[in-house]
Amino acid sequence: MSLQLAKLIPWLPALSAVVCGICCIKRPLRKLAAPVCVLSILAGFVITLGIQSHVTGHHEGGAVGQTVTLFEWVHAGSFHVDMAYYLDPLTIVMLFVVTGIGTLVALYASGYMAGDRGYARFFAYVSIFIFAMTTLVLADNLVLLYLGWEGVGLCSYLLIGFYYQKPSAVAAAKKAFIVNRIGDLGFALGIFLTFHHFGQVTYTDIFNAAALYHAHGVEVPWTVQLIPYLLMLGAFGKSAQIPLYVWLPDAMEGPTPVSALIHAATMVTAGVYMIARLTPLFMLSPGALELVAIVGCVTALFAGTIALCQYDIKRIYAYSTISQLGYMFLGVGVLCTSGAVFHLFTHAFFKALLFLTAGSVMHALAGQLDLRKMSGLRRKMPVTCWLMFAGCLALAGFPFTAGFYSKDEILAAVMEKGLTEHSALYITLAVLGLFTAFLTAFYTFRLWFRVFMGPEKYEMGEEHHSDEDSHTTQDAAHGSTSGGIEVAHHHEPHEMPLFPMNLPLVVLAAGALLAGVLGHRWMAHMIGSSSAAVVSQVAEHGEAATETTHHLTLLPGVDLHTSMMIISSVIAVLGIVLAAYYHWLNRPAADRLASQFKGLVTLLANKYYIDEINDAVIVKPLNLLGQVFFAVDQLIVMGLVQFVGFVPRALGLSIQPTQQGKLQGYGLGMAAGAAIIALLVVMAMH
Amino acid sequence: MPTLLNLMIFTPLIGALLCLVAPSKQAAKSIALVVSVVTLAMSLVLAAQYDYHAGGVQFESAMMWIKGINVEYRTGMDGLSLPLIVLTTALSVLVVAASWNIEKMTKAFMALYLFLYTGMLGVFLSLDMVLFYVFFEVSLLPMYFLIGIWGGPRKEYAAIKFFLYTLAGSICLLVVMLGLYHITPNAADSGGKPIWNMMTLQSDSVHALFAKGGTYWVFAQWAFWLTLVAFLIKLPAVPFHTWLPDAHVEAPTPISMILAGVLLKMGGYAMMRITWPFFPDSARLFWVCVATLGVIAIIYGALCAMAQSDWKKLVAYSSVSHMGYVTLGLAVLTRTGFDGAYFQMIAHGITSAMMFFMVGVVYERAHHREIDRLGGIWLKWPGYGGWSLLCFFAGMGLPGLCGFIGEIMVLLGTFEAVGHGAGHTTIVYTLGVLAAFGVVLTAGYILWMFQRVYMGLPKPDYDHYEPVNTREYAIMTVLGVLALVFGIVPMIVFHATGVTFNHLFAMLAVQ
Repeated sequence: MSLQLAKLIPWLPALSAVVCGICCIKRPLRKLAAPVCVLSILAGFVITLGIQSHVTGHHEGGAVGQTVTLFEWVHAGSFHVDMAYYLDPLTIVMLFVVTGIGTLVALYASGYMAGDRGYARFFAYVSIFIFAMTTLVLADNLVLLYLGWEGVGLCSYLLIGFYYQKPSAVAAAKKAFIVNRIGDLGFALGIFLTFHHFGQVTYTDIFNAAALYHAHGVEVPWTVQLIPYLLMLGAFGKSAQIPLYVWLPDAMEGPTPVSALIHAATMVTAGVYMIARLTPLFMLSPGALELVAIVGCVTALFAGTIALCQYDIKRIYAYSTISQLGYMFLGVGVLCTSGAVFHLFTHAFFKALLFLTAGSVMHALAGQLDLRKMSGLRRKMPVTCWLMFAGCLALAGFPFTAGFYSKDEILAAVMEKGLTEHSALYITLAVLGLFTAFLTAFYTFRLWFRVFMGPEKYEMGEEHHSDEDSHTTQDAAHGSTSGGIEVAHHHEPHEMPLFPMNLPLVVLAAGALLAGVLGHRWMAHMIGSSSAAVVSQVAEHGEAATETTHHLTLLPGVDLHTSMMIISSVIAVLGIVLAAYYHWLNRPAADRLASQFKGLVTLLANKYYIDEINDAVIVKPLNLLGQVFFAVDQLIVMGLVQFVGFVPRALGLSIQPTQQGKLQGYGLGMAAGAAIIALLVVMAMH
Repeated sequence: MPTLLNLMIFTPLIGALLCLVAPSKQAAKSIALVVSVVTLAMSLVLAAQYDYHAGGVQFESAMMWIKGINVEYRTGMDGLSLPLIVLTTALSVLVVAASWNIEKMTKAFMALYLFLYTGMLGVFLSLDMVLFYVFFEVSLLPMYFLIGIWGGPRKEYAAIKFFLYTLAGSICLLVVMLGLYHITPNAADSGGKPIWNMMTLQSDSVHALFAKGGTYWVFAQWAFWLTLVAFLIKLPAVPFHTWLPDAHVEAPTPISMILAGVLLKMGGYAMMRITWPFFPDSARLFWVCVATLGVIAIIYGALCAMAQSDWKKLVAYSSVSHMGYVTLGLAVLTRTGFDGAYFQMIAHGITSAMMFFMVGVVYERAHHREIDRLGGIWLKWPGYGGWSLLCFFAGMGLPGLCGFIGEIMVLLGTFEAVGHGAGHTTIVYTLGVLAAFGVVLTAGYILWMFQRVYMGLPKPDYDHYEPVNTREYAIMTVLGVLALVFGIVPMIVFHATGVTFNHLFAMLAVQ
């Protein structure tokens, strides 16, 4: 298959977006939207499969990536940016994630969204999202990357606010967009500085320029060193890291397939992808990657603690996503790019699976998401129960599941760096990572045991996602929440149909369990031959390090890697067992525990009050500033204008009394004028 | 071709006369529509005939007008005017379509509008300073009446304010022209006569007079600021902007569209045609000051927009903010910034006209523009909501839509300007960061507005609103598609401007 076909990967979904848009207007066509959307994404997956051998086969020759140019985008003066796609193994991995998970989620959504008023609109948004996300991944320059970056942000905005009659959804959408824009400000400034210093924004040019710095050992100017820090800000915004994570939990207002696709599997990993892609640029600044690692690790721990005390299923998964993204940043931060991308890959499977199964539960319970209002659903929804179980195992890092391999690779790399460099910082990070792994196992299974185990008991929610009639009769003026109350709700929780809903989940579950064992070596090979591979002297340094690593160990008799595996297995199992005790076998014990640490629990349940602090420190002052500026505009600028307008009138008024038509007055004036002129003439003559 | 170009300028004037004697209101509307379609066709023919590889002034024609002071009637088209001409003629058709509902003194409205149209085309196409000035003034008068007669409750106030402000600007320009009248006969190849040809005024012999340390260096500095003020008022830039919100709020929808879409661009165009190329050394001396003015406009406009409760006023302040990028892009004297500023004008021409139209659609039905009394419009009219989304996000500068290219190129150009030499590094970085921060503020006020107007549940008083009709959908579709096309294929513009800008920028570049 020709590499040129890669051009179609973004543009087929773009076409699908147009078709779905037409389906929105012509309502009889609306059923067409889902198949069109699914097929356009699937086509992208097939093309990716077809071209992957072209890309991975080429790395021997030294040329890492290949560029496919679609057309000239902007060419003015020295500024030159093309609609061009850069293909290397990292791109291929990302394309697999985006189109693969995208197809499965879209298929699931074709069942999940059935009966919703905005059915066609939903698939139009998803198509635009896939267009933007594949553009982001394929871009061969920073400006096109930025296009994709903002494009996915837009889709995220639209999809979070999908139920735009709901004020909370709209507020969440706006928050997501604006927090992202703050991060993007950093990203944009990074692009500007890159252009200023390297004169180009194309990856290959940037990498070549960065390689020159490495090769000649020239001192890197501080403005170049600043670039990674600015780009990082964009990555933290999109991938919901401290301090810009606040939007992701609220983003759960969107339909659940969206949470799975955009806010778990694909878009939120864009930040990790960006840093991985620009590794050569990040290496120009010694502290940058270290900061990425620290922020990643702290975020992982921070979000993990919040997840312990939440009751909303989707929010728990949202905090868990933030936490897992933290691991990925920790990975890229210690230059374990293959581990980070591997975790991105496996996380896409199991987190999409978890969100979609959560969606099934929500669907079955008419929108109910509160952990306290459901229990023992295993008999009502057996398939969902065990599918979610598979996802939970992977998230908890249970031995030999996908999450176990990828998380372990990152933690081992951190520990290795700490031990070889005798760095207390990295050892601490590794220990914190392990502790977070324990929290992860605990909160994951807290959720699962609460929902599916124990006595059967549930309360229906107020929405009617599955009830076709209530949706179609629902008047435009009624929100989806108000529509549900009128009709008394009698149906019971039920299992989802195999097609189109449960089948994609089975595929995801297979991935969540097996992607680790099967994908381990493939991933190392792929990332090792991409632009993200660490080159030149750092690689040599790395080789030297591996020799010593064999002597490093934490446990007697085994090497470092294996010992990390053993430790994290023990931790995962411990977390699961504790969760089983507190949330299945002896639930009152959990309540007693909570009441003992009341202060801490309140703090965690309120998410450390970060939203409240942001509101008081940033939102309110900025609003006030706007009011002040407008007041200035009204009072001073306008006032000045009024004053300027007033002066001639005042002058006119002041001399008005002299113009009353009295002859003697005019005569006096004339005489005075003549006298003054005469005086002037006399003075001039002397 | 020169004949066609001159014919294009005066076709609307003929149309205006026809409108006055038209038998009925309907006939006047039809005449206006036909005239604007014909003019659009003419401009497209000219665009097709223009030689893009050669660039420079083409279709030039000249005729002695006032012999005593060497004033000519000289017109022509180059890369700087071509895209703006096509923008003007294209918008004009839409504006006539948008005025279809005007029932008050329709004939006079159409006649005045067409008169204004001639003025706008004349400004972009004249190559003689005096002729330019005449057209610049001609465009002023019909606008005064269009706002003053067909406007809202405070129309007289808004109209007179608009008039006085622009007149003040014209006086500044007139002063400079008096100076040119006295100084240009001293230029090497002037033959002792004053030079009014705008191309000759950019030649080396004239530049020698105005060069740093040259005989008329002090005049050149003053002239730079005087012309700049004249055009900044038109643009408008803070602190000369207060006429704009009032004019927009009171003006009827089609007039707001043409005001934001084309009339503001006359300011930016004139800076690129006159202020910078005539006095390049002054521009190099004062660039930091001018850039600061641009950044102030960006931030100030955005913050004021955020504080508005009147929907149309919000859009008006957003124009102030967006035009700040034009000032900034020109000021920094980099090719990227220059191109960005130009593209920003074209893009803003599309998006601002569309935004004002979108506001107008609702205003025509609701008879108020208070954001807090609106809400849930998307649910009421899904199609209209969809186009509004595209429109406001294009205005916000979302990549892939037209607003993005101009903004990012201006910002890139600003950072490039750090290379202009030591002493300004910190200031330029600060300006760049602040201008980039404007993007965040823009997102803030647009999204907040969008949330309050479009999202949520529809208000009960919408029930008696007529649905959005086909004519309105047609207008927004054309504008929306343009916003998308210019975002994806911006080369349409750069292709036209490229060669002309190469020449133009050669004299502006910082050595």
